Amino acid sequence: MINLAAKDISHSLSKFIITAVGVGMLLGIVLIMLGVYRGMISDATTLIDDINSDIWVVQEDTLGPFAEPSRLHEDFKNTLRSLDGIALSSAMTFQNLQLPHSNGKTTRVFAVGYDPLGKMIPLNPKRIVEGRGLEHDHYEIVVSKKTGFVLNEKIPLGRDLYTVVGITEKTVSSGGDLLVYMSLKDAQNLQFLYSNARIRADRARGIKGMDSHMVNAVVATVKAGHTPTEVASQIKQWKHKGVFTNNAQKEILTGNLIKMASKQIGMFTVILLVVSIVIIAMIIYNMTVEKIKEIAVMKLIGIPNKLIVKMIVQETMLLGVLAFIAGVSFSHLIYTKFPKNVVLLTEDAVRLFVVILIASLLASLFGAKKAIDADPTSAIGG
Amino acid sequence: MGKEQGIRVENLVKHFGEGETRVDVIDGASFTVNKGELIALIAPSGAGKTTLLMMIGCVTEPNGGTIWLGEEKVYEDGWLVKDTRSIRREKIGFIFQAPYLIPFLNIIENITLLPQANGVSQKDANAKAMELLTYLDIADKARMSGSQLSGGQNQRVAIARALANDPQIILADEPTAALDTERSISVVKMLKKIAEEQGVAVIMVTHDETVLPYCDRIMEIVDKKVVMKDSLSDVKII
Repeated sequence: MINLAAKDISHSLSKFIITAVGVGMLLGIVLIMLGVYRGMISDATTLIDDINSDIWVVQEDTLGPFAEPSRLHEDFKNTLRSLDGIALSSAMTFQNLQLPHSNGKTTRVFAVGYDPLGKMIPLNPKRIVEGRGLEHDHYEIVVSKKTGFVLNEKIPLGRDLYTVVGITEKTVSSGGDLLVYMSLKDAQNLQFLYSNARIRADRARGIKGMDSHMVNAVVATVKAGHTPTEVASQIKQWKHKGVFTNNAQKEILTGNLIKMASKQIGMFTVILLVVSIVIIAMIIYNMTVEKIKEIAVMKLIGIPNKLIVKMIVQETMLLGVLAFIAGVSFSHLIYTKFPKNVVLLTEDAVRLFVVILIASLLASLFGAKKAIDADPTSAIGG
Repeated sequence: MGKEQGIRVENLVKHFGEGETRVDVIDGASFTVNKGELIALIAPSGAGKTTLLMMIGCVTEPNGGTIWLGEEKVYEDGWLVKDTRSIRREKIGFIFQAPYLIPFLNIIENITLLPQANGVSQKDANAKAMELLTYLDIADKARMSGSQLSGGQNQRVAIARALANDPQIILADEPTAALDTERSISVVKMLKKIAEEQGVAVIMVTHDETVLPYCDRIMEIVDKKVVMKDSLSDVKII
């Protein structure tokens, strides 16, 4: 049997391909939007994944340093080690800073403070593209490449000058700020130590000096034979502390913090997808209207509806598939040009493919309805 | 060939609209066209020629009367067949004022589409199409598209398409309207030859009196009824 769809498409091949590429670019943007969402998830968990702890101990009744202010004493890391199940523990600080450039501009960053001589290092060595990690307790800083700072550049922060000893890539906080790494002592000073003038003024008002040996979280790993949940349940019995497993802390980040952003992106994605489907439907409808005379002739001479509908459905499905291929190609061509991290996943592409197949099938119904309703007598004059 | 019935119509009625807007088009038309006959159907524009053709062709439903195609009664105050399109596909060949070839199909595909829809294999349909194209003297155009052919050649392709399903009836709606006199006569002679050689009943709507001498009989719609003309002298084309 003659394949009417193949014949019709080959008759106006360039027009069909240009149309498919046009729709494909729209689908490419849908994939990019999904990639932006995936990038947000990936960014949000980069730091947690790099820290690679099993347990997060934070201030009582808080959700941890990524969700709300959390303070606890640094020496809790030692107390924690008294538990049987704990293998390693380390205190860390997390804070936003404005890094001043020599030209007067500043860059907002998210600073991670940790013990560079300890055993739990949140700076993943594979992310260092220049220089090295922290090796000393003071005045060293490792920055993300996108901050614009270069190796050995001096950055004034608080009372001191910090030297850039390392440059990293793909290090972003859950809030989208670039990550920098500094020693715990320096980070504590920047976060908790007031200026001399402020200390003098506080003393004059009878206020005791602020304890700078505070941290935002204590992280720990558990020994083999113990589970994070079991160890966390023991810590929960202690007063004035909150405790989360690593998965729970991740859930707080991805489930709560970026929920609104992901909803926003989800809305954009759905709208784009609906627009794409409407455009496919309109294209198919127009393609059917363009050959309504031929369809009327076919109906008049006795060609069954199923053959005509089959032609329309096959053309729509092929348009959808070609548009999808064009969309995937387009998204892979441009995704690296975006300033934020865009992660294109095969599973997202597969989901989009299924949606496009279903949408194309539904869109073809518009054309099919038009063809079925076509009056065969309109083929001839009277 | 004997007087075998090709088309028989009795008391056919067709009107459009209802009440004050009702327009009667055909009111009690009765006639018979035998197999092997070429009948010209004439009438002024708007008199209902195409409507009559479409009712015989099972496209437009009449409001009353009876229609036989061959020996099969297909209409009697309602369609007697569930799928009128299958009747068209299997029994009727249509030729229009313009060829109306499917532009995305080449000549042979235009001709074989209907037989293939009837379940004929592509090979057999192609063989039959080539036979028809040879018969119509355009076999060398089989792989061309309609846009590469002249008007007369396209109309021959339309005739080949109408014959491809071995129809018992051919309904031709002004098939010579777009052709000059010479080509018009050539097409009508061809229809006459087909009617005689293949035993097909042909009704041809026409406004062209130069082709009338080649027809076996002439039918005219007069006062919403069909009148058979005895001789050409009775005919007055408006």
